[in-house]
Amino acid sequence: MARLRVGPLERAERRLGYALLAPALLLLSAVVLYPIATLLWTSTQQLHLAQPWLEGFVGWENYDRAMDDPRFWSALGVTLIYVGVTVPGAILCGLGLALLANLPFRVKWPVRLGLLLPWALPLVFAGLIFRWFFEYEQGVVNAVLRLFGAEPLRWLSTPDLAFISTSTAIVWKSSSFVALVLLAGLQAIPSSLYEAAAVDGASAWQRFRHVTLPMLRPAIVVALIFRTITAIQTFDIPYAMTGGGPGHSTETLAMYVHRTTIDVLDFGYGSALAALMFLLSLALTSLYIRQTRRDEGTG
Amino acid sequence: MPSFKKARALAALLIVANGVIPALWILLTSMKTETELMRVPITVLPDTPTLANYVRVFVDQPMLTFLWNSLAVATLSTLLCVFVSALAAYAIVRLRVPMGTLILSAIVLVSMFPLISLMVPLFQIMRTVELLNTWPALILPYAVLSMPVCTLVLASFFQDIPQDLERAAEIDGCTRLGAMWHVVVPLAGPGIFTAAILAFVNAWDEFLLALTLSPRVPARTVPVGITLYQGEFAFPWPIISAALIVAIVPVCLLIVIFQERVVGGLTAGGVKG
Repeated sequence: MARLRVGPLERAERRLGYALLAPALLLLSAVVLYPIATLLWTSTQQLHLAQPWLEGFVGWENYDRAMDDPRFWSALGVTLIYVGVTVPGAILCGLGLALLANLPFRVKWPVRLGLLLPWALPLVFAGLIFRWFFEYEQGVVNAVLRLFGAEPLRWLSTPDLAFISTSTAIVWKSSSFVALVLLAGLQAIPSSLYEAAAVDGASAWQRFRHVTLPMLRPAIVVALIFRTITAIQTFDIPYAMTGGGPGHSTETLAMYVHRTTIDVLDFGYGSALAALMFLLSLALTSLYIRQTRRDEGTG
Repeated sequence: MPSFKKARALAALLIVANGVIPALWILLTSMKTETELMRVPITVLPDTPTLANYVRVFVDQPMLTFLWNSLAVATLSTLLCVFVSALAAYAIVRLRVPMGTLILSAIVLVSMFPLISLMVPLFQIMRTVELLNTWPALILPYAVLSMPVCTLVLASFFQDIPQDLERAAEIDGCTRLGAMWHVVVPLAGPGIFTAAILAFVNAWDEFLLALTLSPRVPARTVPVGITLYQGEFAFPWPIISAALIVAIVPVCLLIVIFQERVVGGLTAGGVKG
């Protein structure tokens, strides 16, 4: 390609542009790029902070160890089940909330606040609140069960029930963000489309199926990607509700990495686990992005 | 159509109840005495409403320290984040930097990176430079965590400012930076504000990094402080509830006052991207 003549004014502008970008790129390198390099390097090391005399290069050994570690596979399984349950759960609940919130209200702020409050709540607080709800003696859930004459359940100390209660908390907390994204998508659909559909005699379900859903598709994909990325990292809510228990039945990958590094101080192995998690999230997101590209190509 | 009106009211009620009831229940719990909480069946409204739990939040635990740490870390990281993001967004949108969109997507990609994978090396790095249990250990990562959303929000605001205004300022003798300061910054005020609120809430809410990089009591932030609350016996629910209310109120006020901006900012990144 022939080199375009660049005038002095434009060159000065470009120089200024680089100067303005520099702080962001510097910060990004210091807090993301350099740590990633450190992570990958440490994952090939034996590095146990409590046993500094054993340090040294071990190649793929930490990764081999993960492959033979039943607790890693259990944590991976728990994480994937959380993704499989809470992502569709949050999208469906969020879609429901968004459809309700899209009705023509005269006063808009109560609905907006109802959607914003769960979003603004720290994840770990949502975990604490739901832990209180699911307490055996004083929890409100068991109180309702007792009211209907049913036996109270040990929600947080039975593996399956612990999974159900943590998933409920996650879906409640994340569906409001999904609803906000989908609501913006709903409001961007031109009303003329609905009018045209009504003229053609489409029923409410048909309008939803053939106008709303296709037009909402981009917003759903955005919500899906965001939700999946955060679901892979599930940490705060099980940490606050069950601590990964009972046993390791709600221990996610993020919690296992945290335990291996911060509690056990095994940074070599922990780095390998964290690197594997990074790969997992990369794989899932690129899958989505590829899928949407393909849809755009044919649609 | 009265039936439609009724359905509409029901829908509003449903959304508000879903969002508010958990916090409301915590508020009620925080006003009960420990003995009332032991009772089965449980009570809904407190028998003898008390504020004693709120006093104990501040007396038994260094809640003020936690609040001060959270406020300082969130404010400073927000300032850093918005400043850096604004410069970057302006450069990408207005200065025709080569590969501008590529740089923007690289910044956005950062938000897809699992935080836990960053936590492990950040702990090692902060330990080496002896920043563990200090504010900078959290300020720097928090500034970067909110950079994607802030840059997106600010870029979309800068794009809407007519370029002619800057040209006019330059013709009147302003330098490029002068035009940016006198024309762009005032006009992008709402955008900067929106970005700042999002960054602040993100930092105020963050738990994992705060738990690992700054766990000691003098440097703890509110989410960690409450989660690791040490009671004499079991988890002291009335006090925890009071602490939760104390921690939630500031952010709630922010949200109540600036709700429209927050919603706009949250969805600008999502829907336009």
